[in-house]
Amino acid sequence: MVKDVVAVKNLEVWFPVRRGFIESITSKEQRWVKAVDGVTFNIKEREIFCLVGESGCGKTTTGKAILRLVEPTGGNVKYYGPGLSPKMIQEAAMTAVSKRRMKQEDADKDVEEGGVEVRYLHKSRMKDLRQKLQMIFQDPYESLNPKQSVYDIVAEPLVVNNLGANEAEREMRVKKALDDAGLRPPKDFMWRYPHEVSGGQRQRVGIAGALVLEPSFLVADEPVSMLDVSIRSEILKLMLDLREKKGLTYLFITHDLSVAYVFSDRIGIMYLGKIVELGPTEEVIKGPRHPYTKALISVVPKPDPRMKTEKIILKGERPDPSHIPPGCRFHPRCPFAMDVCKLKEPQPLFVSQEHWVSCWLESGVGKQ
Amino acid sequence: MALLEVTDLKTYFKTQEGTLKAVDGIGFTLEKGQAMGLAGESGCGKTTAALSIMKLLPANGYIAGGSINFMGQDMSKVTGDKLRAIRWRDISIIFQGAMNALNPVKRVGDQITEPILLHENVDEDVAKKRVQELFSLVGINPNRIREYPHEFSGGMRQRVMIAMALACRPKLVIADEPTTALDVMIQAQILQLMKNLQTELDLAMIIISHDLSVLAETCDLLSIMYAGKIVERSSAVEVFANPQHPYTKGLIAAFPNIKGDRKMPASIAGNPPNLIRPPTGCRFSDRCYMVQDVCKKDEPPLIEVLPGHFAACHFVQPRR
Repeated sequence: MVKDVVAVKNLEVWFPVRRGFIESITSKEQRWVKAVDGVTFNIKEREIFCLVGESGCGKTTTGKAILRLVEPTGGNVKYYGPGLSPKMIQEAAMTAVSKRRMKQEDADKDVEEGGVEVRYLHKSRMKDLRQKLQMIFQDPYESLNPKQSVYDIVAEPLVVNNLGANEAEREMRVKKALDDAGLRPPKDFMWRYPHEVSGGQRQRVGIAGALVLEPSFLVADEPVSMLDVSIRSEILKLMLDLREKKGLTYLFITHDLSVAYVFSDRIGIMYLGKIVELGPTEEVIKGPRHPYTKALISVVPKPDPRMKTEKIILKGERPDPSHIPPGCRFHPRCPFAMDVCKLKEPQPLFVSQEHWVSCWLESGVGKQ
Repeated sequence: MALLEVTDLKTYFKTQEGTLKAVDGIGFTLEKGQAMGLAGESGCGKTTAALSIMKLLPANGYIAGGSINFMGQDMSKVTGDKLRAIRWRDISIIFQGAMNALNPVKRVGDQITEPILLHENVDEDVAKKRVQELFSLVGINPNRIREYPHEFSGGMRQRVMIAMALACRPKLVIADEPTTALDVMIQAQILQLMKNLQTELDLAMIIISHDLSVLAETCDLLSIMYAGKIVERSSAVEVFANPQHPYTKGLIAAFPNIKGDRKMPASIAGNPPNLIRPPTGCRFSDRCYMVQDVCKKDEPPLIEVLPGHFAACHFVQPRR
């Protein structure tokens, strides 16, 4: 069986809504923006797992919460290596138990399975672990410091983490990272500034900055959405090559289903802080079960005017994560909403071995 | 007579390193009620072409040659009050990035009223009424005219921009990357709206995008630009069914197709050339898979391959 690299269970990231003075004395309870509201999935070794959804559905927050770039407020994030030492695992479990964040038996189970609970890791340990968990950011036009040379940008993670014995070793690692990211020969690019390289090359610099720490798990947040279509597949191919060569595992975040379709192994469709459908890519795209997935697939523009297909255009905009509707959170926009959808939240139901969907239509309620 | 006829348009920019030939001899015609797509990679000059038609070029940009014949007037020569009378009343533009194109400290209703009051001899009540009509036309609740831009979501702001572009009932609307910053679902809503408005109001439109699939959904005509030149143009169906230029073929192949097989699309290697010192011969030659010696020497003319279908490549023969 293929090992999990990351397992996320019931992950929650809630942000408190700031209240005014009057409201804080008169009103009852704290309100929350539930950006991520109970997300469960696992990512296997060398797998590309893709989260797809509209902006504001919580896909980026999920990615950041796994790396603890935002603090999760509930649930678990387990990381199973590679790059974990038995000492680290033992220590993480002990600390979590001693701080009463975890029960002894759960901690023992973690040790046995060789995983660490990322949520309860001490800050300094998290910093060590983060070398293995890296992120590629969306906008290569804004995520690179315009006043730093490519060398400085890529070397910065080494400096921050105090890695590399001397400047010569650092330079060697930077060159290797640039070479791995396809900026060849590295010495031609090292002393340029971001404005002196093209858009695709900028994203390669961003990737080199993630690679320099030799990570094993990468969160790629919309890495190609700002690039011209003609160079997108170059970057995607680079990411596939890196998986082959370095055995990387990816969490790929995108709003573009057609990119997810050609690139990922499994897809999770997110809506308003929850995954509504999850399964192998081909199965989800060719045989979608959730009405939201069906609608999303139908509106992807086809690169051919002769292909006119029926579009399911959902009315309105996505609802507000501080006022999540009761029952199924998709029901206000769902063309098939029934009475039960307004009252009770549907639970995940497996429609094949690896493909599940949370929808009342699947549970047979609608057929009666 | 065509509504818009652009002939051999050249728009250059003065820069410290020399003259940048952003648009270097493009031509097309647009009839009333037609929608044309202008496609190409970033930096190919498609936005500059649009700004030239509106005469909204930045201070260092100038029209170096050619003509823009809009309803019998040469836009490249019109200036001053005459120009202001045409702008927004006859031609309007939907700018790229609706997020930043609205004034954040002014109510959206007032922002749309402004061009109406400026261009037409009407009083404020009539203009207000018109804005409310426009809002319902683009699918926004007319009661929202007193709200500020930050109270609207991205898709709604784009609708406001469209309402603003339609304020003076123009004959030609230019949309510069109208859906690039939007989600797929909102993109579908906006594209459907634009398509409906185009037929309802008999509008001529120029839609600029790097995304061929967006243009495939909305346009009758399609022009493909590369490094300041149009390399292929025809009806949208014809360009997709029968692409002639290697660049067009590459662009089409670069799209992942959700209805097709699950395979990684091809990419076009290399980068567009420097437009301060463009290469001699065919500008695409450095990236072309079928490049020959002749491509490096001579520039291929835009020839009519089939009636109404033009392409600029040495290896394209007219078929009659």
